[in-house]
Amino acid sequence: MKKTSFHFLRVGLAITFLWIGVLIFKNPEAWGGYLQPWAVGLLPIPLAQAMIGTAILDIAIGAFLLIDFLPWLAALVGAIHILIVLTVSGITDITVRDIGLLVAALAIVIDSLPQEVLKWFIKKQQTPEIG
Amino acid sequence: MRRQVRPHLLRFLKHLGYNYLYMTSFALLFTLSAIGISETVYLIRKRIASEKPICPIGGGCTLVLSSKYNKIFIVPNDILGLLFYITASSISAFLFIGVPPLTFWSLIIKLSIAFGSILSLFFTYLQWRVIHAWCFWCLMSALTIWLMGSIILVSSLI
Repeated sequence: MKKTSFHFLRVGLAITFLWIGVLIFKNPEAWGGYLQPWAVGLLPIPLAQAMIGTAILDIAIGAFLLIDFLPWLAALVGAIHILIVLTVSGITDITVRDIGLLVAALAIVIDSLPQEVLKWFIKKQQTPEIG
Repeated sequence: MRRQVRPHLLRFLKHLGYNYLYMTSFALLFTLSAIGISETVYLIRKRIASEKPICPIGGGCTLVLSSKYNKIFIVPNDILGLLFYITASSISAFLFIGVPPLTFWSLIIKLSIAFGSILSLFFTYLQWRVIHAWCFWCLMSALTIWLMGSIILVSSLI
């Protein structure tokens, strides 16, 4: 990816994550309403607390992406987070946009993945299992 | 009956519009300060690494950023900018969420943006008349702060 386009994508996604975090903080119960009943039943803590935790995670991902600190890790966590959101809320009129965010996060992971991590991953795949 | 309902409806619509305007202005202030954070972090990183920043327009970035006006007392301007943008983004989030004391936060954000706008005006004057070079990142930051000032002004006037 061209350097400028990468930074546009990074900052744009960062602002999205940060603002979603702020929105959830404002009204955690309302955002919890998007969760499917089966997912709410799995929560070991009250829904509002779980949503506040989600808001903190969103803000942390956004902050990491914004300051360009470990962008691949932030985007990877962000992508996993969006995948979980899509699973627990289903693809609705609102969450359909998360597909775009998921792919954008994956694009950042692919583009900013450090060579060391990539080499480690390839090495891990090539090493034959003993026993 | 209609005559009784209408003023209530109008008041409700006015309340909705007022709320919508305020919420939009906080969202815009937050977005602009986030852009400011990413800009200043970039400049701080480049300064620490002793590298030249990319200068898409103007070409005078290095000249301006290494001039004797690049700090106030001992604090580099990029650090001051970062602190300003972090404060602005936090306060606009507090105002949006409704973290008390709202009047205090509102006053602080207005004062800091007013101060930042005047300081940006001064720095732009320095680039134009004293240093005779234009720095893309400094102008971007000034524009961001002026836009934030315009949002505060417009939302206060309506």
